[in-house]
Amino acid sequence: MTGTCVSVLISKAEAPETEARFSERIAENQRRVFQIAYSVLGNSADAEDVAQEAFLRAYQKFASLREAEKFRWWINRIVFRLALNRRKGHGRRLARDSAWQMTETPAMVDGAKYAEQQVLLDRLRREIERLPEKLRSVLQLSLVEEMEAADVGAVLGLPAGTVRSRMYTARKLLLEVMK
Amino acid sequence: MKDACENWKEPLREAALTGTTAKDLEEHLRSCANCSAELDEVRARAARLDALLPLVAQGAEPSADFRARVLAAVAAKEGKRGRPWRVWTLAGATVVLVTLLVVGVTSLRRNGPAIPAGEVAAAQKLAEWRAPSDGLLRTPGQEILKGMPRLGQSYLNVPVKTDEEE
Repeated sequence: MTGTCVSVLISKAEAPETEARFSERIAENQRRVFQIAYSVLGNSADAEDVAQEAFLRAYQKFASLREAEKFRWWINRIVFRLALNRRKGHGRRLARDSAWQMTETPAMVDGAKYAEQQVLLDRLRREIERLPEKLRSVLQLSLVEEMEAADVGAVLGLPAGTVRSRMYTARKLLLEVMK
Repeated sequence: MKDACENWKEPLREAALTGTTAKDLEEHLRSCANCSAELDEVRARAARLDALLPLVAQGAEPSADFRARVLAAVAAKEGKRGRPWRVWTLAGATVVLVTLLVVGVTSLRRNGPAIPAGEVAAAQKLAEWRAPSDGLLRTPGQEILKGMPRLGQSYLNVPVKTDEEE
């Protein structure tokens, strides 16, 4: 009993430090984690829910995820898996934000050109949805900022070379359909 | 694109996507205006696609208070987990205290100061002691006098002989 008590007391004493470190990790990773969820789910509300769930799970395992790199790889994997699960659960009911909802209109912009871009973006999203699953996963993860081929491979359990080759195939298919 | 150039379709796409042109394609392009125009068109499409693709995910941002909300959710979850810990600790401490108390009292009783044998013998003797006058004061009628005679009985239970018996 004394052993348990001591470890509980130690963990209580370390709690503020743990929270500060965890807060730092959120700041470092939140944008990427959100974007991974967003790339799969396509709407901000669901993406934030899933990103939050991923961070909550990370907190429970934080003792073994102290290293920044380890944390980064772990949370990339878990948020992608949670997002896929949610998409499977929601099926067709999952609403996608339109390109108009997603991006802010820049102050100095050619209106017609901007509108054309948003239409193309919506069309591109639909075409990405039609890609085979293994190509779509690679593409969605590769499009997220800071996600190199090795990071994508770590999430999907693939070598970086395979990621690059699938990315190339996905781009080639999209080039055909986005005429 | 001419039918003869159909075979160059795939190398053209590869050239547009990778940015590198194979030697045999380069030679063909020198002599084929159609394929050169096709390559320019595919390159423009590839550039447009590559400009659009990052916007698919990168245009979206988490809300400004995202971090605060995650931390609040963590605190709420930790609070919920903390309460049962306190209850169990309190229950455990109570059980330990009661056990210690029982063990302490029992061992105190067992190891308490023993009464010397001489004192026990003296106390026993005192309990058994009778005053000598008790024996002297005894009379033969003492037992008879302890109780009241019932109606029709006498103090002295002496059998009376009737005339018939005589």
